[in-house]
Amino acid sequence: MTSTKLYTVIYVVLFAFATVQVVIEGLSGIGYEIAVAGILLLSVIKAVLVAGYYQHLLYEPRSVAYVVASGLVTAIALTFAASYSIT
Amino acid sequence: MTEDQQTHDDRAVQSGGGPPDGSATENALVFRLRRFFTRDELPPLGTVRHWLLTTNHKDVGILYLVTSLFFLVFGGVLALLMRVELLTPVGDILSATGYNQAVSTHGLIMIFWFLSPFAFGFANYVVPLQIGAKDLAFPRLNSLSYWLYLFSGILLGISYFQGGSFEGGWTMYAPLNVPTYMPNIGSTTTVLALVLFVISVTVSSVNFITTLHRMRAEGLTLFRMPLFTWSILLTVWMMLFAFAALLAALLILSSDRILGTTYFTAEGTPGSLLWTHLFWFFGHPEVYIVFFPALGAMAETFQTFTGRRLVGRKWFIIAMVLVALQSFLVWMHHMFLTSINLQIKTLFMVTTIGISLPFDLMVFSLIYTMVKGRIRFTTPFLFTFGALLVFIIGGITGVFLGAVVLDYQLRGTYWVVAHFHYVMVAGVMALVGGIFYWYPKFTGRMYNKRLGKATFWLFFVGFNLLYFPLFVAWETPRRVFEYPAALTPWHQLATVGGFLLGISFLLVIWNCYWSLWRGEPVDGNPWEYSTTAEWAVPSPPPLENFPGVPSYESGSLAFRDDDTPETSTDGGTTVSNDESGSTAHDHHDSHASPWPFFIGIASLVFFLGLSGITTGGIYPVLTALGVVFGAVSLIGFGLESFSVTEPERGERWPFEGIENGKLGVWVFLASDIVLFGAFIGSYVFLRVGYGWTDWTLVPHDPIPGLINTYILLTSSFCIVLALVAAEKNSRWGLIAGLSTTLLLGIGFLINKGIEWVELFHEGVWLSSNVQASTFFLTTGLHALHVILGLLILLYLIPRAINGSYLNDERPIEYFGLYWHFVDIVWLFLFPLFYII
Repeated sequence: MTSTKLYTVIYVVLFAFATVQVVIEGLSGIGYEIAVAGILLLSVIKAVLVAGYYQHLLYEPRSVAYVVASGLVTAIALTFAASYSIT
Repeated sequence: MTEDQQTHDDRAVQSGGGPPDGSATENALVFRLRRFFTRDELPPLGTVRHWLLTTNHKDVGILYLVTSLFFLVFGGVLALLMRVELLTPVGDILSATGYNQAVSTHGLIMIFWFLSPFAFGFANYVVPLQIGAKDLAFPRLNSLSYWLYLFSGILLGISYFQGGSFEGGWTMYAPLNVPTYMPNIGSTTTVLALVLFVISVTVSSVNFITTLHRMRAEGLTLFRMPLFTWSILLTVWMMLFAFAALLAALLILSSDRILGTTYFTAEGTPGSLLWTHLFWFFGHPEVYIVFFPALGAMAETFQTFTGRRLVGRKWFIIAMVLVALQSFLVWMHHMFLTSINLQIKTLFMVTTIGISLPFDLMVFSLIYTMVKGRIRFTTPFLFTFGALLVFIIGGITGVFLGAVVLDYQLRGTYWVVAHFHYVMVAGVMALVGGIFYWYPKFTGRMYNKRLGKATFWLFFVGFNLLYFPLFVAWETPRRVFEYPAALTPWHQLATVGGFLLGISFLLVIWNCYWSLWRGEPVDGNPWEYSTTAEWAVPSPPPLENFPGVPSYESGSLAFRDDDTPETSTDGGTTVSNDESGSTAHDHHDSHASPWPFFIGIASLVFFLGLSGITTGGIYPVLTALGVVFGAVSLIGFGLESFSVTEPERGERWPFEGIENGKLGVWVFLASDIVLFGAFIGSYVFLRVGYGWTDWTLVPHDPIPGLINTYILLTSSFCIVLALVAAEKNSRWGLIAGLSTTLLLGIGFLINKGIEWVELFHEGVWLSSNVQASTFFLTTGLHALHVILGLLILLYLIPRAINGSYLNDERPIEYFGLYWHFVDIVWLFLFPLFYII
């Protein structure tokens, strides 16, 4: 288990990243694709932080992470293959 | 004699007690009901109370088997109606809508309400015995799965009395499935019955996965597991993910039908293609979900009745694992006739041909086992051997459909009908073999052997007479009762076969019934070469299965008499040994609970109400009743003291360092990931089809979404602090953490409510356009998860105030896993629906 201090730092980071996502959307100097990639990357980082530390996935047996990853891969496979099929 | 040593018949323990002292003032009916459902111990076997209250895996298995056979008769009668209609090439006895309903519900019943639950009757009864467990990990959830299954089937039956049931085929293709083309309330009820069924399946999957990975006897490694259990392990993993995709499809369809969203009908977007993707992403794994248990039964019986271990056993298992994985990579071969691009069709043709290769290996393994062994032609073997023969035909004819060019010609014809019946009913044939194989175990009596063999021949002849002519008459259009007159003799032959097959099923049921009283009594093991653990105990087995703690440490099954259990619960109040006053030696598990039954009834009432809620009348009342009754039942479920021991020793790879409850939550969340993934995937798919950058975001301003992100992140932080406080035995810290989370959750909903009301005032409604539909439904599903979380908090907070969770903080941790997951989902919904 980790300390309350670490939980607090993570909370601040999550808070800041959410704000940055909206800021990126408002920036006019960067292209749409780069902005989308940046915003989604920040979401992925936030999700990893919540899952890893708040849900303690980092401290569980690795197999639990594989279970979660299996669900993710399943959903992503469906999304990408289906979307590609109509391009 | 301890309870563990009691036989099935002896296990009845009279529930004690007459009316309490104050009963004179109680309403007599209420008193009788209370007494009827009061759980002291498991009521006697021959009583209705026993079957309403039991949570024992063997009883639940019997309930599944009997109920699924009822649905077999239901679906079979519909099939015979169709066959009689098809005696001539024109419409005779059924109206067009009547025929459509018969076709549709026959398919739905046989695939969902008969085949899988039939297999899970065996799984419930046999799997815990084969792995050396006393029961499943969560016995009450197992009972709940059964009741949800039963009531979902009843809901399907009710749909016939609501202006007609669903008419669009078991595949429910869009846009035929929306109210414009199918306005009956009964059609909506059918969809909701499937939703309820999928909930049952998900609960069951979580339970079996936890059990199979955490409850195996010492020394029973995965590779040593019996093949039937292997087949169930892979089946439940496939079920977990495949049914989540179906649930997403069904929830969206329910929304299109009840709330008026436009996922499957909107112009300018490939809505109908979306349905086929979601449905077949579930639908193809479903073929293996249905067939794998049959394959497991074949492997067991081939070993027992050839007197030798399966040839290439290890490769057989690897092949099953490969098929389970590949099953998620072939779904688009059902879509070759749609407008998906040629590249993806070609890719899926390759993956489809690829999936036949591991099956070839399994078939050769079974054949070679017969060659190397000495076959005993008993009734179970005849059925499973017959199943192998017809499955080979079914498999080969399926390869034709996997080729794009041939599929163009064969899709929508009776070739498909014949092919999948050769596969699906091969599975049924193998499982009928399973009935005869395990019948002595279930009842302690042998079936009528002569009748059994005669039934097999009638079954086999009827089967082939029914389905083979359909290959010859393949040009018959599917789901239509008119066909070229030249094909009439083949259809008449098939109808004769259909009746023979129907009679053989009745003979199977009659044999089981007759033998229950007249069958020859058998000891524990009537089969000379059986090797699995269920045959090492009396028939039927005692309540808690084994005379001691099963162990395979020595290389073969033995029973130790020492075990120090630790207690765990499946959501009920934890009863530690100290609290109950019992010692490890005399501790025993709970086996009865009324709450799963009540939750089942509440679900039936709720979904029935929901089916016609937009029409007014009795339906909104039913919905409200279902909610209230469901809430009371769930609270009763949560407060009930229900003890389940978690063995201290055993094989738990790959989940050694995590307890049953937590693994159950994680497995459920994995399924929820697929559910939300399918919703988000649907959004992405529709947006790609629409034109990604042409798509307009529904909220005008990201700030309300950002505020909700802050709120949820803060609530996640609070629940972490609550867990820390519980670990530090800080009662007020725990209460503060939980209460703040509750308030923040309410704040999230209020903020969302304000945003939605503003949009409604602007004239943006769920049915306005596909952008609005995806926004409201996806964020609405998320809000529903928040509401469920808040309801759990309302349960946790009063208990925390009373001092709970300080010595055992696991419920807080489990709730936290769920709440953080809801938070994570929002972290993706926010950018997708508010920013990009």
